[in-house]
Amino acid sequence: MAGVILEVSSVYKTFSEPVLAGISLELRPGEVLGVVGPNGCGKTTLLRIMAGLEEPDGGSVRREGKVGIVFQEDRLLPWKTLWENIALGLKYRGIRGEELVRRVREYSRMVGLSDSDLSLHPRKASGGTRRKAALARALVLEPDILLLDEPFTGLDVRARSSLREALRWIWDEYGLSTVIVSHQLEELLPLADRVYVLTPKPARVSEEIDLGGMDLERRLERVKEALLHILSGAGVGRPPHRPQDGDKSHHDHPQYEG
Amino acid sequence: MRGNSMAARERIGARRDESAFRAGRILAGAFILLIWLSASATGMLPGPLEVAEYLAGMRASELLPQVLKTLYNSVTGFSLSFLASMVLGLLSHRFSLIRGFSEALSEIFNSTSALVWSLVLVATLGVLSPLPPILVVAAVTLPHILTATVSALSSADPGLLEAVRAIGARPSDEFFEVILPSSVPLLASASRVGLGTALRISVVAEAFGSSGGVGYMIIRSYNLADASGVLAWSIVLIALVLGLDQLILKPLERRARRWLE
Repeated sequence: MAGVILEVSSVYKTFSEPVLAGISLELRPGEVLGVVGPNGCGKTTLLRIMAGLEEPDGGSVRREGKVGIVFQEDRLLPWKTLWENIALGLKYRGIRGEELVRRVREYSRMVGLSDSDLSLHPRKASGGTRRKAALARALVLEPDILLLDEPFTGLDVRARSSLREALRWIWDEYGLSTVIVSHQLEELLPLADRVYVLTPKPARVSEEIDLGGMDLERRLERVKEALLHILSGAGVGRPPHRPQDGDKSHHDHPQYEG
Repeated sequence: MRGNSMAARERIGARRDESAFRAGRILAGAFILLIWLSASATGMLPGPLEVAEYLAGMRASELLPQVLKTLYNSVTGFSLSFLASMVLGLLSHRFSLIRGFSEALSEIFNSTSALVWSLVLVATLGVLSPLPPILVVAAVTLPHILTATVSALSSADPGLLEAVRAIGARPSDEFFEVILPSSVPLLASASRVGLGTALRISVVAEAFGSSGGVGYMIIRSYNLADASGVLAWSIVLIALVLGLDQLILKPLERRARRWLE
């Protein structure tokens, strides 16, 4: 576990059918880890198991420190303002008064929420503002590990860019260890240090790709190739084809919204 | 430009719908008035003018105590059933035994007519007792409010429950922060319907006792063969139900549902 802040070892999960089939992965301190795979392959289930919201049927998850999770659907309480939503976790931990106000202010500003945003109810706020509030709600508890489930889904280009900038700033400033599950490669890959590519359900790790030293074009090319490989069936249980530099493949798969 | 003209057309369409809707409401009033005029033309009922004269002749000292009595019976009976529903609903949420008990109680109460409750309670407590109208209201509204409470409390979004759990909510936090607020809009709607029902039921029970109220005045006028009195007190009741609904209950319901809009 040395040098690893979150370790998933041979995790299995079955609902009505097998979803995860022996997944192992590691998150290192300060790292941004991406998890990609075909739609419905079990990425969210894996994230929920990492967060401790779901028990695995087999295998284990070891976490060093507190975990914060941001769900795909924001899940803000609609009868509370964004400020009250962000403050909720602090109240549950008995933090009140000046400390509560300080933390809510600090983390709201960090994600780019203004004072007028904070007085809104979720229904009156834009999708991007709601997503930022959900992020602030997780950050305000000062987690050691942040889990993000499809953070860019449902947001327009401007909101996606604004959220991406906020996340980048948080990582640069705090070096927060993060796992991002996303099918939006254009948003995920500029941010991630490493990516795990999962097979279709039941999910296994098909490939682990270190993105260090690659430019965005190369990152996209490399991950899309890995996805095409597993969607063609070749990646399941077999080592994937590793292209040579300059071996370009720009095909997109219809099942994957890369 | 095209977007602006489409929006303008939509606004005109919405205004027309609103005007047509209002015209429909006026038409309903005219329709009832027409039936009343036809019935009064045969001599079966007093006409609207006769009843209006009766209403104009009513003294405030005669009207107000009866209206307040009916309101008191309705609100007290409804409050009893609301409190009982909340207690049973909360316990049903946690204990299957109470859920079974509440469900059976609702089914039995729902199958029992207001007439039966009135007769049994007046026979048991006496004609002069002020309790039968209150208890009849409580018994008749209980199944509706209880069913609404049970379903409202179980309608909380599991995603929201999980979200608050993920940030450290205890079961009591889950209840007060998610389950209870989630149920407010449904409970507000049920209460609006329930209080309207309570007013209408209250007058049935009042008719069987001698403790006063609008229902008592209706049956007293009937016993005196005073048809104008029957209709005048009926109009008082209708005005009471409509006034309570439009001036108090509807705004309260809208307020309870404001975060949904």
